[in-house]
Amino acid sequence: MFVWGEPEGELGINFDHIWQKTLTVLNPLKPADGSIMNETDLAGPILFCVALGATLLLAGKVQFGYIYGMSAIGCLGIYALLNLMSSSGVSYGCVASVLGYCLLPMVILSSGAVFFSLQGTIGTVLALVIIVWCSLSASKIFISALDMEGQQLLIAYPCALLYGLFALLTVF
Amino acid sequence: MAAADELAFHEFEEATNLLSETPDVTTISRSDPRTPEGQVAVAVGSGGGYGAEDEVESDKTAEQQPQPGFWTFSYYQSFFDVDTSQVLDRIKGSLLPRPGHSFVRHHLRNRPDLYGPFWICATLAFVLAVTGNLTVVLAQRRDSSIHYSPQFHKVTVAGITIYCYAWLVPLALWAFLQWRKGVRERMGPYTFLETVCFYGYSLFIFIPTVVLWLIPVPWLQWLFGALALALSAAGLVFTLWPIVREDTRLVASMLLSAVVLLHALLAMGCKFYFFQPLPLEHMAPAHQDTSLHPNVVLTPTPPRPMTS
Repeated sequence: MFVWGEPEGELGINFDHIWQKTLTVLNPLKPADGSIMNETDLAGPILFCVALGATLLLAGKVQFGYIYGMSAIGCLGIYALLNLMSSSGVSYGCVASVLGYCLLPMVILSSGAVFFSLQGTIGTVLALVIIVWCSLSASKIFISALDMEGQQLLIAYPCALLYGLFALLTVF
Repeated sequence: MAAADELAFHEFEEATNLLSETPDVTTISRSDPRTPEGQVAVAVGSGGGYGAEDEVESDKTAEQQPQPGFWTFSYYQSFFDVDTSQVLDRIKGSLLPRPGHSFVRHHLRNRPDLYGPFWICATLAFVLAVTGNLTVVLAQRRDSSIHYSPQFHKVTVAGITIYCYAWLVPLALWAFLQWRKGVRERMGPYTFLETVCFYGYSLFIFIPTVVLWLIPVPWLQWLFGALALALSAAGLVFTLWPIVREDTRLVASMLLSAVVLLHALLAMGCKFYFFQPLPLEHMAPAHQDTSLHPNVVLTPTPPRPMTS
């Protein structure tokens, strides 16, 4: 695939890695490959954040400020936590990248909110499922990248709180 | 490791406490490869008492390397070195207090962590704020005359209250126990972090209780609250009992009752502040002669017309 080789070198965006990471997020039960986080790319996460804001806009909620604010503070919190809990450090860009990728199911939820209201039992259950999905993916990637055995739930829980805040934005 | 031998009996209060309780143990010291700052870990292998081998990680060993400053991550890393199973085990231990089993000795095993208390407090604050708002939303669904506006300041209030309680009360308790240290010969007091740790875990039971407070049946709410308070306070008392029982009766009973009282105040304060319709029921029977049951949590009609 020589054609794809050139844009990679020029733009620095590795499409194959982006696709791989997206697949990892979409399938939270499959074990992740620890090496995919070796290069932090923020293209995917920024795209998903903008998509989230756009779908929220379509549903009638103008909340870009909250999204960016919560993302930044949430990333900071998770960054602090991961540095405390892992034996090897982690960079802020890596944390932001992983959390941004795992925002993809949330984008699915908010695009659903465009078509039907989520304030009901079904909406709540769906939101909970999405939150669990997001946090499992995020914690799975962090665990495999930082080699933290036996701490997946401990990482998943703060991620679930963060994604829970996003879900609250989406549902209400 | 001659330096470690010198350290073993000066600084490791916890180890000597364990040793004093189970005299036929052997101690070995080794450096843990997971503690890159050169902290020395003393492993206590017990013959009978505690079963599995324990590790005591001390954060007071300044002899081997200059201690990282408290503004760096590595200073706090030792307090977050827990597994999922350990955290779950500690939570279970806080839910089911047993007389004679101190939470600190049996579950913490001298490895206090800050992960549990921090996230339990965060969850409790979050859940309090959310359920406080949800009760009004649910009441509005039942009766549309109640006006609901999202009260985000409740998150801030909840957060500040819970965190202050979880840090200041253990600080006061620890300071008091340190002051009374001279009276006790056998067992040293708990370190500040252990105090914070068991206070934090003792707050865990309030999380499901607060969620259950969504059910708008008053006597059920009081029942759940009393149950949670009893379990939580029992846990605190059983943990503190080995420390205070060697003190004078007066001081011991005063301390324990102060601990239980503060806990009760926290529980009731949360109930009254976050499930605020309660004050409305005091106004309603005085001004209305309808058949309002005084124990209804939410009055069906707003009190405002009464003042006009």
